[in-house]
Amino acid sequence: MTTTTTTPLPRDEKAAPMAMTTPRPARRRLRKDLVRSRIAAWSAVLVIGALGMLPVYWLLVTALSTPGQAFQFPPKLIPTEITFSNFSALAENDQLFTYLVNSMIVATITAVLSVVVATYMGYSFSKFRYRGRRSLMHLVLASQMFPQALLLVTLYTVFSSFGLLNTYTALVLSFTTFTMPLCVWMLKGIFDTIPDALLEAASIDGASRWRTLHSIVAPLAAPGMIAAGLFAFVRGWNDFIFALTLADKEKQTLPPGLVSTYIGEFQTAWPELMAASLVVSVPVVVAFMFLQRYLVGGMTAGSVKS
Amino acid sequence: MSTSAPRQKHGGRLSNGAFALLLTAPGLALFAAIIVYPLVSALFTGFFRQDLRLPGREFVGLENFTYWLDSGFGTILKQTLVFTVGATIVPFLIGFALALALNSGLKGSGFLRGLFLFPWVIPGVVVSFLWMWIFNANYGVLNGILLELGFIEESVSWLGKPGTAMLAVIITKTWASFPWMMVMLLAGLQTVPKELHEAAAMDGAGAIRRFFAVTWPQVRGVASIVLLLEFIWNFQHFDTIYVLTGGGPAGATETFATAVYQSAFKGFDLGRATALGGLWMLLLLVLVAAYLWITERKGDAR
Repeated sequence: MTTTTTTPLPRDEKAAPMAMTTPRPARRRLRKDLVRSRIAAWSAVLVIGALGMLPVYWLLVTALSTPGQAFQFPPKLIPTEITFSNFSALAENDQLFTYLVNSMIVATITAVLSVVVATYMGYSFSKFRYRGRRSLMHLVLASQMFPQALLLVTLYTVFSSFGLLNTYTALVLSFTTFTMPLCVWMLKGIFDTIPDALLEAASIDGASRWRTLHSIVAPLAAPGMIAAGLFAFVRGWNDFIFALTLADKEKQTLPPGLVSTYIGEFQTAWPELMAASLVVSVPVVVAFMFLQRYLVGGMTAGSVKS
Repeated sequence: MSTSAPRQKHGGRLSNGAFALLLTAPGLALFAAIIVYPLVSALFTGFFRQDLRLPGREFVGLENFTYWLDSGFGTILKQTLVFTVGATIVPFLIGFALALALNSGLKGSGFLRGLFLFPWVIPGVVVSFLWMWIFNANYGVLNGILLELGFIEESVSWLGKPGTAMLAVIITKTWASFPWMMVMLLAGLQTVPKELHEAAAMDGAGAIRRFFAVTWPQVRGVASIVLLLEFIWNFQHFDTIYVLTGGGPAGATETFATAVYQSAFKGFDLGRATALGGLWMLLLLVLVAAYLWITERKGDAR
């Protein structure tokens, strides 16, 4: 809503008649500017793009290098031979497999829980008007901005006193502290796009409010609910600080698991760690391919709309 | 749009307001238990002496707060601000430049946008691993390239020296943040009608003039939100710093996040950890209030 103050006009249709009435010198200036701005744009993309993508290239090269190649100095920027042995080494590591399974379980449960709870809350925020609604909405929005490190300190003592440390429950509940606000805001935005007239029609047809929500609104909002769930999955998958602290090797997820497996060793196995880094990144990269359409809305959790 | 929900006509026992509140109940319960209660209770713990591993606590008044204010608070605040400002402004400028470039009608800009998103999409620890490897003192590719080009005489221990560690951390976080700022700003730029540019050009405005007169007023809203959000996130950022340096060397990259974490989980001192956390939260509160004020003014939270 912040950016749609001017209705976007259909560009090409509008631009053509405009250009015809544009006086000559201005048109020439426009064209010169256009050429100049194209050159500037391409240089910016090339320079920033090259610098920005170099680390990605290095990630790939190292993951495909033998230890002998990776640990030579100065490093060879273009590899002479490639190997997939780093990936097969990962596959044989049982501890890493445990972390992977934990990541899958915890991120999935977190996503489902967040979406279910956030659907009701987001629907309530979107389609009803009552006292305290705005304060609640602000509380939800603000809650994602409070420091995780501080939240973690008390969560640790609370989970400890309930005997929940080193359980999936602790991880799911701690991840929900940041996925739920995100899902509530995203889903409120989705429900806002469903016309009120539809709800009124359902009511006139005799559907109860529960039925309206479950069999009319929810199916319509399903793509948005899946997107919110994917966002929650990714955020849970990427979490580091909570899983690092609230669980040990048995229940830990991949990000802290990789740190404890590889970092702080006498000699870090960089090629293997880079291979592992690629493997951890695959699910989130795939998820984002599906999320392209929801990207801008999801990134700020509904606080900015394009 | 005051009461948009359908009025219940037959047999509804609950009023609409009650029904709406009922819908929020599971969320609110979860919220109260895992966010509100822990944060509020953390604020109280700051006034006690309490060990993470032991039961029981003792009221000590302001002792934990004065401990920080006497030693460390100033340094931590300064370093947090250096990190936050650096890791907010630099990716903003890069992201803005890229957004402007991609918005000028380049072929394949959709594909490029997707490609540039990669650093932001991948998990934070992966970003940290990758840059740890790049900055590696013995085998790192950065030293290799800089030596080759003659910019440095001998390998630099980027993460091991207080003088360069903060820079390295900021570069790492910048790499992870510029893509989302680019996407947001690009979305903002795409709402600027081309006609405005053409009209301004007809009036004789050059490219720079047009940027400030036409483009900037249109994207200012998105830009301020992007900057403020990134500032808030960096102000409490933990992952990159913890993995890359752990707050070191010699505390040179210590921020509120790492200091609170270390004093709670390495020093086991809950009182001191939450006291510092309380001061930290006060500062964040100002930022969050500013954020809510801006979004409210834009009428987003209707």
